[in-house]
Amino acid sequence: MAEKISFTINGQPTTVEVDPEMLVIDVIREVLNLTGTKRGCDNSTCGSCTIVVNGKATKSCNMPVKKIAGADVLTVEGLAKGMELHPIQKAISESGAIQCGFCTPGIVMELYGLLETNPQATQTEIENALNKHLCRCTGYEPIRDGALMAQKLIQERK
Amino acid sequence: MKFKYLGKSYNRPDAIAKVTGKAVYLDDIRIPGMLHAAILRPEYAHANILSISTEEAEKMPGVVKVVTGKGCKYHYGDNIRDLVPMAIDKVRYIGEPVAAVVADTKANAEAALAKIKVEYEPLPVYIDGREAMKPDAVLIHKENGQYWHLPHIKPTPGTNIANTYHLIKGKGAEGFKDADVIVEGDFHYPLGSCAAIEPHGAIVWFKEDHTIDVWSSSICPFIIREDLAHSYGVPVSDVRVRIPDIGGCFGYKSDITVEQTIAWIASFVPGRPVKWVASRKEDITSTLLGHGIHSKMRIGARKDGKLIAIQNEVVHTGGAYADTPVNVTMAATHNCAGGYEWEHCDLIGYTVYTNTPPVGAFRGYGHQEGQFAVERLMDILARKLNMDPIKLREMNYLSEGKTNSLGEMMWKTHGDIRQCSDYVKEKVFSKPKPAEDENYYYGRGFAAVSKSPKGAPFSTKGCYMKMNIDGSVNVSMGGAEVGQGLRTVVRQVTAEALKIDPERVRVYNDIDTLYSPYEWQTIGSMFTTQGGRAIIRAADKLIAILKNTAAQVLKTDVDYLEYDGDYVYLRNDPSIRVSVKEITRGYITSDGITVGEVAQAVSDARLPRYMNPDANGQGSLGVSYTFGATAAEIRIEKKTGKVIVDNFTSAFDIGQVINPQQARGSVTGGVTIGMGAAISEKVEFSEDGKILNPHLFKYHIPTYKEAPKQDVEFIENPDAIGPFGARGIGEHSVIGPAPAILNAIYDAVGIDFYEIPVTPDVLKKALESRQEVK
Repeated sequence: MAEKISFTINGQPTTVEVDPEMLVIDVIREVLNLTGTKRGCDNSTCGSCTIVVNGKATKSCNMPVKKIAGADVLTVEGLAKGMELHPIQKAISESGAIQCGFCTPGIVMELYGLLETNPQATQTEIENALNKHLCRCTGYEPIRDGALMAQKLIQERK
Repeated sequence: MKFKYLGKSYNRPDAIAKVTGKAVYLDDIRIPGMLHAAILRPEYAHANILSISTEEAEKMPGVVKVVTGKGCKYHYGDNIRDLVPMAIDKVRYIGEPVAAVVADTKANAEAALAKIKVEYEPLPVYIDGREAMKPDAVLIHKENGQYWHLPHIKPTPGTNIANTYHLIKGKGAEGFKDADVIVEGDFHYPLGSCAAIEPHGAIVWFKEDHTIDVWSSSICPFIIREDLAHSYGVPVSDVRVRIPDIGGCFGYKSDITVEQTIAWIASFVPGRPVKWVASRKEDITSTLLGHGIHSKMRIGARKDGKLIAIQNEVVHTGGAYADTPVNVTMAATHNCAGGYEWEHCDLIGYTVYTNTPPVGAFRGYGHQEGQFAVERLMDILARKLNMDPIKLREMNYLSEGKTNSLGEMMWKTHGDIRQCSDYVKEKVFSKPKPAEDENYYYGRGFAAVSKSPKGAPFSTKGCYMKMNIDGSVNVSMGGAEVGQGLRTVVRQVTAEALKIDPERVRVYNDIDTLYSPYEWQTIGSMFTTQGGRAIIRAADKLIAILKNTAAQVLKTDVDYLEYDGDYVYLRNDPSIRVSVKEITRGYITSDGITVGEVAQAVSDARLPRYMNPDANGQGSLGVSYTFGATAAEIRIEKKTGKVIVDNFTSAFDIGQVINPQQARGSVTGGVTIGMGAAISEKVEFSEDGKILNPHLFKYHIPTYKEAPKQDVEFIENPDAIGPFGARGIGEHSVIGPAPAILNAIYDAVGIDFYEIPVTPDVLKKALESRQEVK
């Protein structure tokens, strides 16, 4: 049965009335119409659906919406401030990391979860984070370049 | 030659939309009143359908309609019209649509599927083309030979052989009499999935005004349009196909795939748009697979290393429908000769019906399968001749004045494979190989690469270009952006052709057959070549219009005028000039009377003299080539048998580089796909035709940590067809990894593999049996 579940999404308090077992990705995409979060597989392998929940990068395709009650949720749509891109978006869009772009939102959110919490993340930590995502286009090299560029921009941010 | 806007890494026009999550892909499209479909797949890979009962499903919540294939009167297909949108009286593979539910939500549609009852009569299942082509095999299509097909396709009625392609050069197999040394092998490049991260999907809407609207994650909107118009008896102009952003293709979103099935389903609920998006499982089991190619190859040479003859029998496990695999088989057959000259060729390729999902394009289109065999055999031949394998290749590379298997003469403008080879040799093989240690064996392997477009002779790409009153330019084309970066190429080539800053060029995003210029489909690494040529043609026409108008304004003859992007001016006195901004809509004179044409132009371009095969299977079937050379540096973990590709080096002669960052990205991505095929990717079947690994955690594509470090070099000998001397590079990088890695495995442990993927299990077993022999 449908229940009212409240959380904050991209800074906006929201209440949805849905089956509490409904997956977070479906609530985000189908109920809230935030289509930046992508679905690329059936069983939490590809990482395209990654969002940030209470500061932590989280896959949205295997989590029921009841788990985000009261949480602070961020999707890729919530990163840019008006026309100003988040440093991770700026770096990823300039490093050659984008080809088809379908894995991009998930990777951006993964890096947000890591670098906004720990701007001094080690190379191994960055690699472990990126290893949770599948990209079929780039061979990953330009994504690593983008991640390192993003880290630098965040460290230099005032 | 020096260019102003080429050879520079301008950023992609679609980068911001993609990084902000605002790019719209198929599943992101919402249309008022839209319904959702779910599709029932069979329990058997080959069976007659005895009955289908839909009553219980129809009563389920939210269900609007339950659809079966009953009553379907048409077949469709581009090469062989053997496809049906939904099974009618039999199923031929495990992902075939048997029935569908249309409901208000996807969840309701899926829930109702379980209530459909189907009775089957199972038939023998063939998962290997070599079994299916035996004379006593049960027929998968009893109609084989009766289907409409293109004239060069030769089915064998009464068998499962959908096409035989045979190429003879010189004396064919007789040529082996002149060879001193012959080596042979039986190679297999198994079925794989392109596995774009965005699965297939489509929306179809039969509208009350008798037009049909379609949205699809596809690279062939114009084929979909013509195909649906033919099937539903409406004018082609009344089918409107739109292509949003595409989340990767790698081949399997070319040719018509899921659209006819979704159209069939939607035709039962006229007035309502119907959306269907594949799950990953459906993407692997019910769309197109790639490869599935057995190559039984032998090659012969003289004692001094001069190649004499090549023979190959290609048996293609083509899948349940042959429309899409048939050209892949041909490409694998005539391109297996690789980047070498052979005096004699006898190459035969069979496309065979099997009870597996149909094979279609997979980035590389037959080349990686055929050249996997020849590049492995070159190493094996070198060993037998006691020669260095690269030196053997150097003696035999195609170059100016030599002819390939198709009989096409090579010119300097085809590019220089030797230069690519020399780069890789120096970078990888001029240093000593690491010595075996406690944990690892080390090896290095080389493979040369040659690739033709393998399209269709009538394949063309259109361009519409208009210059606006501020001198900015809009360009619209029919080429599908799948990530390869063609929008950037369009922008840079247009800028160069019109001599204007790329900032002044705005490139199209979506394709819409109602407005977009015609393109056959975006395949064969041909967009830069053909599309770029079309841009130059349109730009030339547009400049001619500007000059014609300027001639009236400046009161002179057109041939005295020059154009520099900002002005049209008199050659002998450049101070006599008119700015392009004043003449893009024609020129408005002081009394308002306007003269001259609007500055807009349409054009298209195809490959020159591209043809169907002649009686010998030869002819100008390639026309344009990109050559390259590659090498893998690997480690093999002794404990597990795991192959780790530490470094991969590639050099390609792509003529003028348009965007270095994108060109490199294309190669690094392609190498990673090729590496996946070599060491991990294979769609696994049970004996009865079920797919055992239709998920990304079982069908393992390379991850961040598995991707090799890469060295990528471009040689830039100008092409004669492509814009400003550019050549294609979309697919080429997937060809080298499998043979290079397997050659490296031999170098490391002295074991020859003829089949991929060489997984840790396979390699460990081989290492153990080698130790037993010792």
